Formats: sequence, structure tokens, C-alpha cells
Amino acid sequence: MADRPIDQEFTITRVFDAPRELVWKAWTDPDQMARWYGPRGISTPRSTITMDVRPGGTFELTMVDDADGSEYPSGGTFLEVEEPERLVWRDRDIDLLVTITFVDLGGRTEMTCHVAGRTGGAQAYDGWSTMFDDLAAFLDRPT
Amino acid sequence: MPVDQLSSTFSALADPTRRAILDRLADGEATLTELAAPFPVTVQSVSKHLKVLEHAGLVTRGRAAQWRPARLRGRPLEDAAGWLARYRQFFEASFDRLDDHLRTLQREPDG
Repeated sequence: MADRPIDQEFTITRVFDAPRELVWKAWTDPDQMARWYGPRGISTPRSTITMDVRPGGTFELTMVDDADGSEYPSGGTFLEVEEPERLVWRDRDIDLLVTITFVDLGGRTEMTCHVAGRTGGAQAYDGWSTMFDDLAAFLDRPT
Repeated sequence: MPVDQLSSTFSALADPTRRAILDRLADGEATLTELAAPFPVTVQSVSKHLKVLEHAGLVTRGRAAQWRPARLRGRPLEDAAGWLARYRQFFEASFDRLDDHLRTLQREPDG
């Protein structure tokens, strides 16, 4: 994919009271992802998660709104996988790149999440539209 | 609350009728009757959809007239900064849960 200018980005840094291997596993093991991914009030059922954690591998998951059962499929492609310190993926639906780095602080772990997106008016709207078109397709699909 | 806002925006946009209502309002304000006309559903049903869109902050409704025309509110989805801000809220809220999860994990016998 051609390089494109980044016009929106943010960084979140957190220190977790857990060894780096554990934090890495939380991000790369579907059983673990199912237990924390998504804001409170939204669940990511284990059965919806597939992950092929290697450069070029893809992942898919579906978040479910606990209140009304609405489903939000999501996914992406891993670009860089350097266990246990660096994970980079590109979102499937929205034009953004997510870089997670893990620094060993000796029993604790500093995690940095950098998100860079090419947004802009109509493009951002298209991103959301695509996400919800995917949802519609998902719901129509025979199981 | 940010998470509620995120969740209500998700919910509001997940429904095809509500997306169609937003598309219609992008052309200008409309009354409930006008909004309901193209859909094979009742006016009451469209009224409920409109309430969801209002709750999510995507639509406002006039108060002057009995028929209260609805209109898009500030087109928040085309606000690039707002768009990424929602993603940030999503991750921040997830990381709160990750923190809880990692603590729980270390209390479990098998770690």
C-alpha cells in the first residue's frame, strides 16, 4: 500500500502491573482478547475471534453491545509482529494504523498505543459507512 | 460519559433505517411525516428511530412547531478530529478493562 499522509494521530501510554509476556499474550491470544477487548458494556465473544499473529496475517472479531445485542465486526492485517515488544496492524475498515509497543519495566510493563489515521471529511464518513455496511452484510449472512 | 456516547453512536448507526434517515436529513430538515414517507414502517417506528438519533447527538429537533422538523446536528461524522477522538475513547476504555484483566489473571492459580 502506498504511503499516504497522516493528518490525525494520538498516543496513549499505560503502565500495567504485569510482566511483559502477560501483556503481550493479552493482545495476541484470542482467549485473552475475549476477556478485555472493548469498552465496558460491550463484549467480544471468544467464538467471534480469529487471529493469525504474523506479518501479513489477519484478525477478525465481533463486538456485541450487551444492552441490545447489536454486533460490530472489526478486523485488520498485522504488518509487524515482534514478540514481545511490538505489534503493528492496519484496520480493515477505517484508514488507520495502530502501533502497540511493550517496554519491560521489570515485572511491570509500559504499553504505548499509537494510532495514526488519514481522516478528512468525506473519507472519515466513508470509513464509518463501510464499517456498518459490513455489519449489515454480516447479519444477512447465513450461519 | 464518553463510553456511553461511543456506544450510542455505534447503536444509532448500526441500523439501516436510521442511516437512511440521516441521508435524508443531509438534504435538509424534514418533519416526521416526511421522514416516514419512504419507509415501509409506521410513523411511530420512525419516531423511535429519531429518538435514538437524538440521544446519540446526531440529530436535533425544533421545538417551535407542533411537527418539530428534524435536522442533522453539526454533522459530527464528518468532523475528522471527532472521529479519531471516538477511537481514542474506545481504546482508553478498553485499556481500563485490560488493566483489570491483567490484575485478575495474576490472582488466578494458573496465572
